[in-house]
Amino acid sequence: MLLAGTAFFSGCQAPEPVTLKVIAAGSLLYPFAEAEQEFEAGHPGVDVQVEGHGSIQVIRQVTDLHRTADVLAVADESLVPDLMYRPMEGSDRNFTDGYIPFATNEMVIVYTGKSRYHEEITSENWPDILGRPEVRVGFSNPMLDAAGYRALMVLQLAEEEYGDPELFENVISDHFPSTVRVRETGGTTVISLPEIIRPSDDHVIIRDGSIYLISLLEAGGIDYAIEYRSVAEAMNLSYISLPPSINLGSGEYAEQYRKVTVELGFPRFSTLGRERVGRPIVYAMTIPANAPHPGLAREFIDYVANESESGRPGWPAPLARGVSG
Amino acid sequence: MKHHTHAIILAAVLLLLALASGCSTPAGGALERDWRLTVNGTTEKVITLQELRALPSVTGYGFCVSTTGARFGPYTCRGVDLREIAALAGGIGPGQQAWVSAPDGYLWVFDDDQLDGKDFVTFDENLKEIPSPPLRIILMYEQNGKPLPYDDGGPARIAIVSEQPGVITEGSAWVKWVDRIEIREG
Repeated sequence: MLLAGTAFFSGCQAPEPVTLKVIAAGSLLYPFAEAEQEFEAGHPGVDVQVEGHGSIQVIRQVTDLHRTADVLAVADESLVPDLMYRPMEGSDRNFTDGYIPFATNEMVIVYTGKSRYHEEITSENWPDILGRPEVRVGFSNPMLDAAGYRALMVLQLAEEEYGDPELFENVISDHFPSTVRVRETGGTTVISLPEIIRPSDDHVIIRDGSIYLISLLEAGGIDYAIEYRSVAEAMNLSYISLPPSINLGSGEYAEQYRKVTVELGFPRFSTLGRERVGRPIVYAMTIPANAPHPGLAREFIDYVANESESGRPGWPAPLARGVSG
Repeated sequence: MKHHTHAIILAAVLLLLALASGCSTPAGGALERDWRLTVNGTTEKVITLQELRALPSVTGYGFCVSTTGARFGPYTCRGVDLREIAALAGGIGPGQQAWVSAPDGYLWVFDDDQLDGKDFVTFDENLKEIPSPPLRIILMYEQNGKPLPYDDGGPARIAIVSEQPGVITEGSAWVKWVDRIEIREG
């Protein structure tokens, strides 16, 4: 009893475990699951908890739903200034005033040994194969997932790259009941989507997120999906690489990417409009101003950034100099 | 008596700490009392939670999944069919849509086919796609026999329910904290 009392007052108890709350975009869940284990191994007493959402929802957990988090990680760096460089309610401090761009990615076409024409497809002939009526092509819902509107941008940019002005029509818009519209305005191609994105036949299949698309692909429910390269690698899927001028993975082509805009059917979030402009894919991490453990959060961010720089399999690619912005 | 006094002091201290920390979720009673639903169609109608509860109710099984695969449920859900609510402001016809929104800035749109329970992707408990059983979209106010808690979207949120347990639907449509439903042309 006396010993127990002495131990209590002398502060010899095991320290309280610290929970580091990390909210991350879906395409980061695989690398962050690895980072969680490794960071915990190097930080006894720290429990890293990673929670996944679409990138906009990642930020909204803090800005609109008033939850606390130590680290936010998103698949589109522009979301941080757009949604977080504003004062928190009842405070003169912004939700955050900076972020670390740490990785990039690129869009690829994934497939399996069950996919129709998988022995024939190459990085040259994929527009022809994806346009064949019997082929089923999948992408994420652009309302919910950046990979979804990025898939549409890739297909539109491919028209110029492959000299095929009907590519987008053949693969996408011909398979919707006149509800997906494409128009030219001031040198930009605008893809306008309806409120409900419902294909009129089985050529195009849309699911809410990558995990459902990949599951459908593996089950043979679709032949090809337009996905991030890191997801393809993490899931050991075969994929066709696309030219840098259309894959959204190269800072050198930022001007080219900007020529395509996707206009969503409705503003799912009042804090962000309906337009998504083509940009190089840049992942970013930030520490909210009210993070409970900012020092530890900084260590976690540094760990992830350093690991990312080494180019690990299944992780988004290291950020080449000049890609951000 | 002494124990009683200590208990009261402890309760008061805990209450003060809770208030000072500012971490409390909105109190259920006040939230339910102050909640209003605006239904805007050919006319506009504003109803209280009591009035919502007085409408014909539907009870079914609800289970949803996030875009990254996190499952929420299964629940027993009780609420009012969205068509029943739309009828308060002139109803919803072919080609029209219900725009359902919440004060946190979230918006989701259903068309008239979906209000009939069609065109939803459904999964089993292992997230394997399954043919969709008949579904209904309700504004849920009761979950597992109790008032819907704030953290789960209470006092009222969208739920997609079926008579068959274990059917999972995509969670993006399960709008939390609903306070407005607008009927628009599609």
